[in-house]
Amino acid sequence: MFNHGQRRTRVGISLGLVLVFAAPLLGQFGPSFPLTYARLKNGLVVILSEDPTLPVVSVAVAYNVGSVHEPFGKAGLAYIMENLMFRGSANVAPFQHFNFINRAGGELSASTSEDRTIFYQTVPSNQLAMVLWLESDRMRFLEINEGAFERARMALLDDLLQKRSEPYYDSQLSFDQLIYSDFAHSHPVLGTEENVRNLTVEDARNFYAGYYAPNNAVLCITGNFNKLSVRELVARYFETIPRGKDVSQSFDPPVYTRQPVIKTFQDVLASAPAFHMGFRIAPPFSNDFYTLSIVDYILFRGRSSRLTRRLLGRDNKIAYEAAGGIEKRKDRAIYRIFCVVNNMAMAERCQEAIFAELDRLKRTVLSEPDLVRTKTMFKRDYLERLSSSRERALFLCESFLALRNFDDVPLELDKYMKVTANDIVGILNRYFTADNSIILNVKTK
Amino acid sequence: MKKIRLRFAVWAVLSGMFVFPQQERFRRSPPPPEPLQELKLPRIERAVLTNQLAVSIVTRENAPFSSLQLIIFAGESLSPNVPAGTATFVASLLGRGTLVRSVSDVEEFLDSIGGAFSISVGLDHILLTFHFMEEYLDPALGFLSQVLLQPNFTRAEIDYAKFTTTYNLLAKEKDPDFVARRHLSRMLFQNHPYEKIAFSSDVIKAWNPTSLADFFDRFYRPNNARIIFTGSLGFNVATRKISQYLNLWQPRDLPPIALPPLKVPEKERVCLVDVPQSRECMAYVGTVFPTPGNSERFDLAVLNQVLGGTPTSRLFMNLRESKAFANFAYSEAEFYRAGGVFLVRAKVRPEAIAPALQEIRKEIRILTKEPASSLEIEQAKSYLIFNFPLQIERYDDFSRKMAENQARNDGEEFWSRYYEQVMLVNADRVFATAQKLLGQPLILVIAGDKSVLSERLTDLETYDVFDAKGQFQYTVTKDKKGAAHEAR
Repeated sequence: MFNHGQRRTRVGISLGLVLVFAAPLLGQFGPSFPLTYARLKNGLVVILSEDPTLPVVSVAVAYNVGSVHEPFGKAGLAYIMENLMFRGSANVAPFQHFNFINRAGGELSASTSEDRTIFYQTVPSNQLAMVLWLESDRMRFLEINEGAFERARMALLDDLLQKRSEPYYDSQLSFDQLIYSDFAHSHPVLGTEENVRNLTVEDARNFYAGYYAPNNAVLCITGNFNKLSVRELVARYFETIPRGKDVSQSFDPPVYTRQPVIKTFQDVLASAPAFHMGFRIAPPFSNDFYTLSIVDYILFRGRSSRLTRRLLGRDNKIAYEAAGGIEKRKDRAIYRIFCVVNNMAMAERCQEAIFAELDRLKRTVLSEPDLVRTKTMFKRDYLERLSSSRERALFLCESFLALRNFDDVPLELDKYMKVTANDIVGILNRYFTADNSIILNVKTK
Repeated sequence: MKKIRLRFAVWAVLSGMFVFPQQERFRRSPPPPEPLQELKLPRIERAVLTNQLAVSIVTRENAPFSSLQLIIFAGESLSPNVPAGTATFVASLLGRGTLVRSVSDVEEFLDSIGGAFSISVGLDHILLTFHFMEEYLDPALGFLSQVLLQPNFTRAEIDYAKFTTTYNLLAKEKDPDFVARRHLSRMLFQNHPYEKIAFSSDVIKAWNPTSLADFFDRFYRPNNARIIFTGSLGFNVATRKISQYLNLWQPRDLPPIALPPLKVPEKERVCLVDVPQSRECMAYVGTVFPTPGNSERFDLAVLNQVLGGTPTSRLFMNLRESKAFANFAYSEAEFYRAGGVFLVRAKVRPEAIAPALQEIRKEIRILTKEPASSLEIEQAKSYLIFNFPLQIERYDDFSRKMAENQARNDGEEFWSRYYEQVMLVNADRVFATAQKLLGQPLILVIAGDKSVLSERLTDLETYDVFDAKGQFQYTVTKDKKGAAHEAR
């Protein structure tokens, strides 16, 4: 919409404001809703999207930090930081964040991924100021002491123990190392036991000081709020938080050799053989990525998708379980497939079936009804992510962190909807090839 | 010079202590809330079509999705005794294909309208949920009409449904949560029609086309159903559309339904259900109560909130945050036609099962001995009041909530007087409810690896051991010297 002569409106949040744009979202394919964004002087990006339907408001604070930012040997630090964010700040006692939100009838959660850490809560709209107070306190004055750090570490070790008792988890980590090759992208969000045991409280403090700063964060408020007072509240609670050091968000470009890789892994916990298969694809939100996202729907989304039918079809089922999809880790993306099978011969048969289906798609242009059906599913899932204030806040935060340019957000859906059948053939031939495939066969003990 | 440097350093440190971190006064305490805004629920308009199908329409402007919930007022309790699970059997076949669409066609069709179609079977009702992109209303209603008027109960489909249901149930029988929950239902609903919900994979062999067709023919009738439609269409258009596609659905006289009230367990019983090699352990504690009146429902809701409704309730704070015995511990109250169930559900560390059970019992006992403080009651009430709008924010959440409400026949005033009813609850009423409900004999079910758990249950006087399917194995009893004995 911005690109089509939409008037850019300058609205002041406060003196610290650098820029504010207002525009309806989305492009020609989606419903519109109001969207305003600004950057405070300390670098904090503030996104506002109003919806007065119900007296409910969501607040999400996303930090541009995840496991890819962890220094070598410090795996698990980002996850520990997420936990520490609930263990008290200057004016909020440990775990009182939960209590404040809960007593207000609100709900909250947090998540850490490879490339971002996000905290979000939904509350009755009359409690917006309280949430901003809570979020600003831990952004500015988090208390990281030995006791809190030790408890967060123990919680992570517990989670790790639990995770490692799941079948196929170790094989998944081994596959990650094969396909990503560098430490930053290949190590797990939960870290490794050895790394976690060696972390120190000083590591956590440095990580917090480096990445949990306003200039590395996005604050998004969606739902029912008063336009004027929200600006005052944001200024009051966030504007005086000092800017942090600028942190690098760039990584060395990957050096991959294009040749097929096939390895074997023995999983003592697995009750049936399996295999991981992956293709390295274009980075998130690059030109090819939009077509790749539609390809994902053709292959594995919905009950009528090609590989779902080929592997799990009721009359010709050759896998117990089969799932696939795009995995994004900051500047890298892969297409990942995981199948559980009856025996290793069936694993081979599944792999042949996958390549046969890919070849079929490369040779024949997708019919119009198939393309329309695929895009309808994509559009449904895209719009689902806007259907509550919480989901909308998460969507907007993640969009901003991924795109770094809000002008592109309103037109995102259009880019997917404009993918053609010929684009799809091109992308399949470029990325879904045997010489770009990595396979890890998982054997049982 | 050294002294000056030292003084400067001391001054710098001290001044740093006072100046950093510098805080504005407003940061020291939470800001007060603004006045609470009024909750305006979407308008619900009702109609009854000529074939006696009741329809509720909720209009939400600019909604990109439509949501349709079809309630059939017949649940698993109306399945025949043999074979149990017939309601589930019927549900597993519906939407799997119709006389005019193959399974594969249905899958493609649902994807093409951005649709999601599912059926869940409860004790008293079946809920068919259908979401789709708003622009595909006509084809979606056309499909629903085929599901109801032209279902496909062919031999091949029946065999496939039996195979997949067996496979899924066998997989679930490795999950301690499923196993414990099912066993608790068996214990609480013993010799009641509700017991049929807890069938095991063994009964599926007995599922047959005759009972299937009979159940469908008797209960899937417009005069035994209600549709709740949420979308951007206005009442008149939505009603006309539904009528257009479903007017051929014929009503039929319904068989009388006699459902006895649930019986409170006569004595406390502890059951250990073996899930071999499971690393997890689930503990359930439950009891039943007679169908409550509207105000009692709210007393129960507040009681539940105090005990285990959320992560800040007593159970969670004690078992997880304080003692680290459990990953989670919650309580919940469920309401059915024949009565209600109150239960505690905790995912416990297997090595901590004995102290975890003690703590759960202790928390329950405390509520029957001492009234909760007024502050705690008010906090629980504020949660219930303020959390309500959050539960209906999504279009599908709202229509599901409405469907549950109407399936239980909660009545108009349940929602319209929700705030008022919660506000009327006080500590005395909650205490009285706790004494009445939690003072009754409780059923305790533990599911996990018997070989690990039985070593930890040495403080129990007696408990019964069952296999994962729920078959009784033996009773363990402790003698006066503390030695455990097994009796079959």
